[in-house]
Amino acid sequence: MTIRDKILVVEDEQSIARFISAILNANGYETLMAQTGSEALSIISSTCPDLVILDLGLPDMDGTEILRDLRSWSSLPVVVVSARSHEKDKVEALDMGADDYLTKPFGTDELLARVRAAIRHTRTASGNDEVARQGTYTVGDMVIDYNKHQVLINGENAKLTLSEFRIVALLGKFAGKVLTYDYIIRELWGPRAGNDNQILRVNMANIRRKIEKNPAEPQYIFTEVGVGYRMAEGE
Amino acid sequence: MKKRKMERLFHFSWRDFLILVAIMFCATSLCWFMRILDSSGEFATLIYVMAVLLVSRLTNGFLYGLIASILGVIAVNFLFTYPYREFNFTIAGYPLTFLTMLMVSIMTCTLTAQLKQQEKLRLENEREKMRANLLRSVSHDIRTPLTSIVGSTATILENPNLSQKEQRTLLEDARDEAQWLIRVVENLLSITRISGGEQAHITKEPEAAEEILGEAVRKFRKRFPEVTVTVVAPDTLLMVPMDPILIEQVLANLLENAVIHGQNTSRIQVSVCREGGWARFDVRDNGCGIPRGKLNSLFTGVLQESEETSGDKKRNMGLGLAVCTSIVSAHGGTMEADNMPEGGADLIFRLPLDEEEDA
Repeated sequence: MTIRDKILVVEDEQSIARFISAILNANGYETLMAQTGSEALSIISSTCPDLVILDLGLPDMDGTEILRDLRSWSSLPVVVVSARSHEKDKVEALDMGADDYLTKPFGTDELLARVRAAIRHTRTASGNDEVARQGTYTVGDMVIDYNKHQVLINGENAKLTLSEFRIVALLGKFAGKVLTYDYIIRELWGPRAGNDNQILRVNMANIRRKIEKNPAEPQYIFTEVGVGYRMAEGE
Repeated sequence: MKKRKMERLFHFSWRDFLILVAIMFCATSLCWFMRILDSSGEFATLIYVMAVLLVSRLTNGFLYGLIASILGVIAVNFLFTYPYREFNFTIAGYPLTFLTMLMVSIMTCTLTAQLKQQEKLRLENEREKMRANLLRSVSHDIRTPLTSIVGSTATILENPNLSQKEQRTLLEDARDEAQWLIRVVENLLSITRISGGEQAHITKEPEAAEEILGEAVRKFRKRFPEVTVTVVAPDTLLMVPMDPILIEQVLANLLENAVIHGQNTSRIQVSVCREGGWARFDVRDNGCGIPRGKLNSLFTGVLQESEETSGDKKRNMGLGLAVCTSIVSAHGGTMEADNMPEGGADLIFRLPLDEEEDA
């Protein structure tokens, strides 16, 4: 018998909880359910699930409180699911430590992709399994070589500048996960860089001109409008 | 409250101040010039009354009109009545001149204020009408898919011996209709983002046009994989001040319209380029194009028209485009539609590139 990943679904809407757990069960995950924040917290501390799917609008407390509480003692992956669609809410939840964010209504394939990505990133400390094992990350025709500090397209060096490489490297490390503009800026230029995304946009435009066939139809680095960037996942 | 009113009536602004200075300067030069032709100086009063009227009409509040009438009186007295360059308040008719100017100023100011008030009311009425039309079109748009969803699911639940294939078609219909509803709601949400109130207000930030284009197209491809979409963006990065979520919505609506209303659309080209001080976005399709008669009324009477004439046939005709137009105009941009010589429609919208917000 294989041990299945355990996912806690925190959602007060019965119909949504039911379909989420059905789709997760069908795809080989084990699910636990919680309808309130306090219930969720007690299940988390007693059973240690592998991932939490968290609805922000709960009857007894705001989902962000659970997130804050949880992040004070655990790095357990959390995928936030919410009807709040403003990108400010997304950025807030992500900056508070959520691993990903899904806006209701969402598709089942989207849900599964986010769950997969979030679980994978906890397996290894560096975020990405392949990066940790071989020092490279491959998706499509692109290879990020972390040892040589190079990005190869069809085996050819894309000749990124240092800061361009660092952006790609960071996104590759967390492939499949959205990284907010602020997070990327902080990681690259330090906490005092401010939150001027202009420089990041310009860098990204240059990166895309070097690695994408058509910068307006990216295959490798996607834009999450108003939130940040996401690297495509490898096979 | 009273204090605020006083503040508004006697509000200082550099623009108004400059208007005042310019008009008074013109009036004085004119008088100076006229005096060469006619030394009596009788015209001076009339010219200054005219100046006071202009100042009162063009500035806000009473302050500048008052200043203009006082300046006018002084100028007439000091410069253009005998004895020149000397004050003489004993001339007969002097108080009358002053009073006339004062009255002109006050009355013009009041009229101007009334005009502005009426303009505001008219705008409000128009907005109210638009809102009502929108609501009507939306309720209509929502009812049809809901009927289908309730109908298909109920059919499956109540008829256990439907074949698997039949069940599947019904469920697929229900899913498609629900997805369509999602898009209606998304459109409504974007309207609420253009926060209501006095002026349509949005938060603009410089965004890379190619990113927004790319995202809109990526989402579109997921929904309509059978349509070929090409994206053309300039080689140099084009940063456009915008609310990215709203512009993505505009592009999504235009793309969807190209498929739904183009009837046999198989190719769409989305492009952005710089055109002077504007960013020009194009959505071109190879569908059936837009009927000549409809081209002009496309962005104006959409909501009223579509419901009455075409009834159930074409839904979302109104909502999608109406949302596009209000988003684009909230950005200070313009929208137009055209047919291409080789067939197919070309929907164009332009956004201003300079960040200067016109109040």
